[in-house]
Amino acid sequence: MATGNIMAGEERELVLTRVFDAPRELVFKAWTDPKCVAVWWGPHGFANPVCELDLRPGGAILIHMRGSNGVVYPMTGVYQEVVEPERLVFTSAALDDKGNPMFEVLTTVTFAEQGGKTKQILRARVIKTTAQAAPYIAGMEQGWTQSLERLAESLAKT
Amino acid sequence: MPLAPDHLSTTLAALSDPTRRAILARLAAGQATVTEIAAPFAMSMPAVSRHLKVLERAGLITRGREAQWRPCRITAAPLKDVADWVAHYQRFWTESFDRLDDYLRDVQKKGEKHGHGKHHGR
Repeated sequence: MATGNIMAGEERELVLTRVFDAPRELVFKAWTDPKCVAVWWGPHGFANPVCELDLRPGGAILIHMRGSNGVVYPMTGVYQEVVEPERLVFTSAALDDKGNPMFEVLTTVTFAEQGGKTKQILRARVIKTTAQAAPYIAGMEQGWTQSLERLAESLAKT
Repeated sequence: MPLAPDHLSTTLAALSDPTRRAILARLAAGQATVTEIAAPFAMSMPAVSRHLKVLERAGLITRGREAQWRPCRITAAPLKDVADWVAHYQRFWTESFDRLDDYLRDVQKKGEKHGHGKHHGR
């Protein structure tokens, strides 16, 4: 069974590790074939009517995510590294609830063979930001995030 | 209800300062006057007042109208919005990976049925 967990690496990085019961080539293909990506990209209930992946360094990523409420959230990005079948690096704009870009995120995904399964590690790091969004970056540090969430929870009860 | 993006930015900017976060943590324990808030910090009252103004503009605290005391109280909504945003970002990937997991399972099942690795049916 695949497990997911969230932890913070160094340098304000979000790290998500997941093991898929599938060969590495297949997982890599699921990440790089637009027809495959369109099937799973985004939270539950989302569809991806547009999914264009120019799979090469400097190549563009364009995905239109459509929520169950019908609202379309465009997502754009640029590939930095493409190393089949073990590594993908791309930048993307992080969008707020209204679909406005807040900052740019560098995402690194690595795929490692693990006894017929594939261990996938996703690292997300903010690289470009506006002055207003800067404080959010601090929010990517686990300690700060957790204390903020705890604070918010305790406040929500009052 | 989600805040407008610029409102979220204001909240985030207000939260960027460790002193202001410490003030919020203090107020989470209960309302306090400016003097009480200033006590643990090695800074002047006007400096503390400036921090309180930033927090007030961001809607993170409200200040009483009682002329002399003007106690500060914390307001939860904007803070919760920020926490929600962080959670939203993590949820995006977690749920995507759930779907990827399902997809990989389906594809492999189909592959077995058709005898040779047909890796992406739709």
